[in-house]
Amino acid sequence: MSMPITTQENARKLSKKEFNQIYWRSFTLLGSFNYERMEGLGFLYAMMPSLRRIWKDDPEGYKAALHRHIAAFNMTVAPSPFVMGIAVAMEELAHDDENFDVESINAVKVSLMGPLSGIGDTFFWGIFKVIACSLGVSFASQGSVLGPIVLLLAFNIPNFLTRYYCLKIGYNNGSKLLENLQQSGKMQLFTYCAGIVGVAAIGCMIAAWIGLECPIAFSIAGSEVVVQQYLDEICPQLLSLGATLLIYRLLKKKISIMKLILIIVAVSFVCGVFGILA
Amino acid sequence: MSALQAALIGVVAALSVLEGGWLGECKLREPVVTGFLVGLILGNVKEGLIIGAQLELIWMGTASIGPTAGLSIGTGGTIGTAIALSTGSGIEVAMAFGVPVSILMQFLQTLVDTAYSGPMHTVDKLIDEGGKDKQIIWIHWLCGILTFLIYLSLTFVALYFGNEAINVIVNNLPAWMTNGLNAVAKVLPALGFALLMNLLLEQDLVPYLIIGFALTAWLGMSMIGVAAVSVALAWIIYLLKRDQLNTAKPSEEEEL
Repeated sequence: MSMPITTQENARKLSKKEFNQIYWRSFTLLGSFNYERMEGLGFLYAMMPSLRRIWKDDPEGYKAALHRHIAAFNMTVAPSPFVMGIAVAMEELAHDDENFDVESINAVKVSLMGPLSGIGDTFFWGIFKVIACSLGVSFASQGSVLGPIVLLLAFNIPNFLTRYYCLKIGYNNGSKLLENLQQSGKMQLFTYCAGIVGVAAIGCMIAAWIGLECPIAFSIAGSEVVVQQYLDEICPQLLSLGATLLIYRLLKKKISIMKLILIIVAVSFVCGVFGILA
Repeated sequence: MSALQAALIGVVAALSVLEGGWLGECKLREPVVTGFLVGLILGNVKEGLIIGAQLELIWMGTASIGPTAGLSIGTGGTIGTAIALSTGSGIEVAMAFGVPVSILMQFLQTLVDTAYSGPMHTVDKLIDEGGKDKQIIWIHWLCGILTFLIYLSLTFVALYFGNEAINVIVNNLPAWMTNGLNAVAKVLPALGFALLMNLLLEQDLVPYLIIGFALTAWLGMSMIGVAAVSVALAWIIYLLKRDQLNTAKPSEEEEL
């Protein structure tokens, strides 16, 4: 590496050390969350080492760059390094090309917030979390220490890998790739297939872990009638399934979640007191 | 509960909040994890795990997506499990304390999130002054340290000084109350799963919901078994549809 390099090429290079800095700092994105700038300061914190390198010969440009990246920013955290990667690449262009429209940097950031959050929420709040937590519960409910270990691993392996590759891909060829994926329909297909796993897991959990029963029993003409036995013959866990579908329908009717919780607590409490549900 | 135990549980509660901000949402907050840690501190790991698993089911569907207030399940789970273990009771007590705590702490978080808007203007000023990078970074870190201290001290005070009051309440719960709370604990997971369905379920995914339910309800298949079957199904569907995409647009071969 003794070849002389021009300043321009030098400025274009994201070193391993800087890559790692952005990577680890991306974990603190929500660290100073507030309603005004949301993740703005966290984003700036992750960007700072790169901004310092890119703008080190231009103090005014550096200030302007700092202001750019403390602007309001908010998205699901796991894929956020993708945006950081793109932003670093764009800052490098902005420094080298005087005609570069710096406004476009924040425009790109904002335009990525929506779609990436959508994908990120589906995967990280929907699928990965559901699978990790349900595996965790299945061990922990038997008192096994594997519960928390499996939960953390199942969630964090995708979490750490996603951040790594998002940053790498975002920096190298970010905006092009996202366009390609969306146009070819691959991303949609992948999300759909992940949805299959998530939804099947929900079906399994409804059957395995609610365990709602009706303890009512009475006798007619000397023979004992246990309501739950009849319900089980129709379909095991019928009440659990029924309760979930009923609540799901109420959710679809856009009843506020707090109101819904209050209704559920009140109704099920009364049913419990009178021995209708257990 | 000793002062040391209360303080350690306070650390768990504070970490469960910091997890979102500082540890990349690594899921320390999940009750299975906090239940394990609280069990470790109070010397009853097994019971801690079991109560954690039950609380997990109640909260599985809650997601604090975006700036919308969710529930502070980290603090709720930690404090709920701690009270249940220290009073030798079960899920009904963990829930009776944990659920209100998770709502109250979320209100507190709203206040904190509002308050942290202030320092952002200080950062603006520091940028203009120039050469104040260290201070800017410190403001980011101070927000985290402050959050940690707030949740640590609140949990400690509630558990250590509220210990006796909590004991009196728990020991005098009448049977009808316990029955009612138990039923609530059974039904709330249904809300959790309904919320998940709301997030994930599309019309053409319904067959897989039925498959998952049926495998477990009639065949008694475990979660891991269902995961294996559904991964295989998803794989097949992916291969089939990918070929369709490729024949439709043969030029757009793209590695994921």
